[in-house]
Amino acid sequence: MHQRSNRRLSSDKAVAGFLLSEMMISTLIFASISLGLLMGFTALERNYSASSDFALNHADQMRISDYLALDLRRALALQAARNDTTIFIPNYYDASGNPQTPALNGNGGVYYGAVGSSVTIHYYLSGGTIYRQQNNGTPIALAVNVQDFIFDITDQGKVVSTRITFNPTFVAGRASADATAATAFYNVTLLRNTRTDNNIGVY
Amino acid sequence: MRGPHSKNHASILVWTVLTIAILSMLGAEVLRLVSIKHQNALQTATWQEALLAAESGIDLGIIELRKSLYPMPNHAWEGWNNSPADGVVSYGLSTIANAGLAGTPMTIEANVDAPNALIDPSNGWQYYRIRTVGTMPITGPARVTDNKQDGRLRKLSLRWERFTNGVLTPHALSDAPQVCRRAEAIVKPVSSFAQAAMSVGTMDLTNQNIVIDSYDSRDPNKSTNGLYDVTKRQENGDIATDGNLIEAGNAHIYGDVATNSGTVSGVANITGIERTDFYQEPIPVGAPSWTAINGTVSGVTDTTTLNASATKGSSISRYQLSTIALSGNKTLTLAGNVDGSRTYIEIYVTGDISVTGISQIVLQEGVTATVYFAGNIDVSGNGILNTKNQPSDLQLYGIEPPANSSKHVSLGGNGQIIAAVYAPDHDVSINGGGTSGHVFGSVVGKTVTMTGVTNLHYDEVLGATGIINNYKIISWFEDNR
Repeated sequence: MHQRSNRRLSSDKAVAGFLLSEMMISTLIFASISLGLLMGFTALERNYSASSDFALNHADQMRISDYLALDLRRALALQAARNDTTIFIPNYYDASGNPQTPALNGNGGVYYGAVGSSVTIHYYLSGGTIYRQQNNGTPIALAVNVQDFIFDITDQGKVVSTRITFNPTFVAGRASADATAATAFYNVTLLRNTRTDNNIGVY
Repeated sequence: MRGPHSKNHASILVWTVLTIAILSMLGAEVLRLVSIKHQNALQTATWQEALLAAESGIDLGIIELRKSLYPMPNHAWEGWNNSPADGVVSYGLSTIANAGLAGTPMTIEANVDAPNALIDPSNGWQYYRIRTVGTMPITGPARVTDNKQDGRLRKLSLRWERFTNGVLTPHALSDAPQVCRRAEAIVKPVSSFAQAAMSVGTMDLTNQNIVIDSYDSRDPNKSTNGLYDVTKRQENGDIATDGNLIEAGNAHIYGDVATNSGTVSGVANITGIERTDFYQEPIPVGAPSWTAINGTVSGVTDTTTLNASATKGSSISRYQLSTIALSGNKTLTLAGNVDGSRTYIEIYVTGDISVTGISQIVLQEGVTATVYFAGNIDVSGNGILNTKNQPSDLQLYGIEPPANSSKHVSLGGNGQIIAAVYAPDHDVSINGGGTSGHVFGSVVGKTVTMTGVTNLHYDEVLGATGIINNYKIISWFEDNR
């Protein structure tokens, strides 16, 4: 009985000692794994955030580019400047929003609405938002939180090229110039109304 | 002993499950994001393709308009429900496979009409309006994009159809989601005399240091009393070839020069642009199909007078002649009113035209003569006297000869050459241009050769006269309501 009692005591001591070391080791392992997981999750979260930001910005680029191309294709005239471009398109719709029948201008061309009239479309960046404003109407926000966006429109003669860039956020701090340049989204558009070679015989 | 071990195992299991849950949520979020972006990119690509479909509809309309310029039977508007007119819309529907999206078919609907408001009062030419709708089915679910501005721009037909089947009223989709884009183009006629000189094959201006320029007899700022004035020279003396060679002979071109992937040799100066992407299929000229003519004269071999009429297209001033063959001192007079007021005459020569010796063709003041010829033209002697010196008053059209036959036009003689020649199936040579070497007008031929011509002055009024040879887009608009 005493012997059995001593055996149980020594067995309990052995178990208690094992639990302490096990706890220390497991705590160490847990701390290491937790630290690794925390760092991993943080990196994942940052990467996810940067990827998500890149995807959102790319979608914004496509949308802005498509808006610009839509208006450039039908442009009568163009005033291009960085982040501030004005496009004049035919006065195609009447006051009710229905298409108008064009009339001949006597010089081999046509016009819609009143002679010499046009609709002014203004694209500009203001307060981190890129807007599209038609005549004096309420500006429509095409993309928000795009203060780092730059859109440039270059007249290349027969065509107009559009270039849109943003600053990616994969690295802490500001993106390098090369990284920003690598985000460039290009579009080349033929100005169908202003480049018809209407006044020359060779076409 | 089992108790503590069991607790440890449970703790690890909790952490494992928690970690897997977090990673799964992250993965699910990434998948959701990628899925949305993938769908957005797919919808954007489809939207872009729909514009190609709409613009193809404009091309299809122009093809039918061009067909209608050919001699009958030209099969224009076959497969369409109408021929376009004022208030009459010609509707055509085409479905073609789109190689860009794995053979996804694109539907092209085109409406062509000819409003009275688009008739040019100066020459009666009809401009046409072409309205098209290009439709592409959207593959994938009918899910709206995550940004409402994308929807505002692209206006996808996910639940309701827009613009299709020739109606503007939206109605429920009968099939899969789709995207439609609508465009409108206005096309204008292009004259057969749109250039100073144009050849299907080689153009040889020989080594005469030729000067080619333009003037506008309608505009006092671009001419003097309706005549060429070197001090008012214009720079629309364009020359072009469907071939690949223009032998310019040290020419000075006040205008543009164009070849079909070819070269221009011997050009001293070009004020306009030089292009190598030119190709314009000339519309062949068919024999007139007049229902009534003036049958008093059937051929001209002696001194003759043919009278013009104040009414354009009148049967009394339409003549069908077997030949015009003048020699010795014979004269053919195309007579108008004594006061020189505007009159018209049309002549269809089924054979050859020749002027030799000191014979001459005289075009009196105020007469606009349109001459169709099926054979050859050889003019020498005293040539052709165009009294009012207006090239648009004398228009010569070479009828398409039978296959494998060769025809030619040779204009020369002592008289000044003042005419517009459209003979895309004839070899055309202009010789001398009278004593001064100056030629006024426009020349279109299978080949064009100028010998002894020092100046070619193109009257820009010719660009708004003559038969229509083509249509070109002058206005384009995408209707994105």
